[in-house]
Amino acid sequence: MEGILANVLNGLSWGMLLFLISVGLTTVFGVMGVLNFAHGSLFMLGAYLCMQFVRWLGSFWLGLLLGPPLVATLAVVIERFLLRPLYGRDVSFQLLLTFGLMLFLDDGVRLIWGAAYHVVTPPEILAGVVPLFSQTYPVYRIFLVVLGPLVGAALWAFFAFTRWGKTLRAAAMDREMAEIIGVRVPVMFTAVFAFGAWLAALGGALAAPHQSVGPAMGEHIIIESFIVVVIGGMGSFPGAFVGALILGLLSSFGTTLLPDVQMALPYMLLALVLLTRPRGLFGEDV
Amino acid sequence: MKGKWLPVVVASLAVLLASGYGYTADKPIKLGFVYIMSGPAATYGQFAKQGADLAIDEINKKGGINGRKVEAIFEDDTGKSDVGIRLVRKLVYENEVDAVMGIDSSGVAAAVTPVMKELKTPLIITHAAVPDVTGSLCNRYTFRIDLSINQNVAMAAAIAADLKAKTWSTVGPDYSFGHQSWEYFQKYLSKKKPGVTFLPDAEAAFPPPATTDFSAFITKVMNSKADGVVISLWGGNLIDFVRQASDMGFFDGKREVLMTLGAATEVLTALKDKMPLGIWVGTRYWFQANDTPINKAFVEAYKKRFEVFPSYNAHGAYAAVKAYAAAAKKAGSTDKEKIVDALEGLSLELPIGPTTIRAEDHQAISDGTWGQTAADPAIPIRILKPMRHFAGKDITPSVEETGCKMK
Repeated sequence: MEGILANVLNGLSWGMLLFLISVGLTTVFGVMGVLNFAHGSLFMLGAYLCMQFVRWLGSFWLGLLLGPPLVATLAVVIERFLLRPLYGRDVSFQLLLTFGLMLFLDDGVRLIWGAAYHVVTPPEILAGVVPLFSQTYPVYRIFLVVLGPLVGAALWAFFAFTRWGKTLRAAAMDREMAEIIGVRVPVMFTAVFAFGAWLAALGGALAAPHQSVGPAMGEHIIIESFIVVVIGGMGSFPGAFVGALILGLLSSFGTTLLPDVQMALPYMLLALVLLTRPRGLFGEDV
Repeated sequence: MKGKWLPVVVASLAVLLASGYGYTADKPIKLGFVYIMSGPAATYGQFAKQGADLAIDEINKKGGINGRKVEAIFEDDTGKSDVGIRLVRKLVYENEVDAVMGIDSSGVAAAVTPVMKELKTPLIITHAAVPDVTGSLCNRYTFRIDLSINQNVAMAAAIAADLKAKTWSTVGPDYSFGHQSWEYFQKYLSKKKPGVTFLPDAEAAFPPPATTDFSAFITKVMNSKADGVVISLWGGNLIDFVRQASDMGFFDGKREVLMTLGAATEVLTALKDKMPLGIWVGTRYWFQANDTPINKAFVEAYKKRFEVFPSYNAHGAYAAVKAYAAAAKKAGSTDKEKIVDALEGLSLELPIGPTTIRAEDHQAISDGTWGQTAADPAIPIRILKPMRHFAGKDITPSVEETGCKMK
């Protein structure tokens, strides 16, 4: 029994971290049609900046608050000066650009902070453990489990009820029509790209106390995030949430129950979803 | 006209000859190094480069090897076998290096080893621990200066034999290194202490190297009936594992824990006081393992120049350069075949202690150290106290056991 509960919590906390990263990826794709390979690098940058602020200011919360907007600012520059000239062209240009950005950012981080691993301590209030039957469970992981749905709900409310959210959805659905009725699509695209980067960096900052901060930490997570996005449905918001939960739980229960194929499970699920529902669980039919 | 040009021609020829002659006399000895210099494990390559640079500068300051300066060329194999093979070929054919050193990944080492026969160039492996390169794959040109899996795990088994644990499990990376560590641990421990049992592989934990969230593996081991766990994770994996396992109560004293590479300084430096106390940890070289003048001088010089304690990978690269220099001196030449002959059976004093390269399988035999993690107010990272030292001959498998046949 305690094994099952621990597995559920393990799966949920990992799933929520995946959700934060995937939701930025899927939003950028859904609205702009851009598949951002550098998303994982923005995640990594969020973790490094959080670490740097913790070193300077001694507070994890300030790192969480100040790091992600800096990454979003960088994203504004990237969108305005690198991505924008490519919108009219073949999609492969975008892929090449974001892939190049990924290499550039990964090496840039290594130039600034070196190749060593770094450790960020969680804030005191979240650093403890709570008893879980005969074991203990870290408070920080429970914090992640709670935070994920909160962020998800806030995003959903934003898209469903606010004027900005509705405009965004309109622009995603039909860009030309939105422009005709007076939506300033280019500004909106910049905002969406920055917002996606902010989410990635937030995920990175939240991951920092949980895993070692090192170069290429984004490469690991971006692959799983892509699987989440494809399983959930490209551009789908609830899809990212459900996809992340499934992948998180699959990894925790798979490790215990099916250790031999644990590594292959996400890919098997991916293949299954693509065969039966090629647009993903929550993808809309054409 | 003729008379006017003749002196110029003669003078040019003289200059050419002189510079040509000078060129051969001062032609530097070239050493090629292959390490992981990018990606998540880049910190290992960085330490190795520092160790190699230190050794080369020491040698050059004293007039070089047999009067010739030493030059280094570093390459990044990114931990991939095909890249490793390509780079070693490039170093030999294009850069015309006199010897190749390095290699972090066991996979790359196993792939490059057979190629050395074709390249007829000495290779000194400084990090990869896979048994095969001085075992079933051994050949005339391949040497290893650092401890192998067998040697390190033999020490783990000796320590485990003195602990109370009866049922052992493992957490190891899901590739040959993790599985071979577990295999040899079972083999050696069951010989030393016949009563112990081992969990089957399916009940042990083998997280893939890309894992960053180890919670599921930790839960699995904690809920198993093992009361002893040998951990062969290393680098970033080990850092993540230790932090997450601490929070989940893994180190609550209910089980004995051994970490075969827990005393790596890159890990201890990242973890600092997050490394639990009283855990048995191993490494390939520990900077406080002995008080010999040569070790003290090495640690001091390293600390002064790079502001950190030398890691085992730094020592490996340092040791390989020093072994090459000793072999060249013994042979009185840098001819590749003569270097190989000189390396076979070479004995030299290294920071790790007296070391002999066994002629039959080319594996270096040096003493090993394990210890329990402890705090020392004077040092920012965990140290080993108490330490246990093992004689090289007691932890090294016999040549027959390694399966190495040179001819």
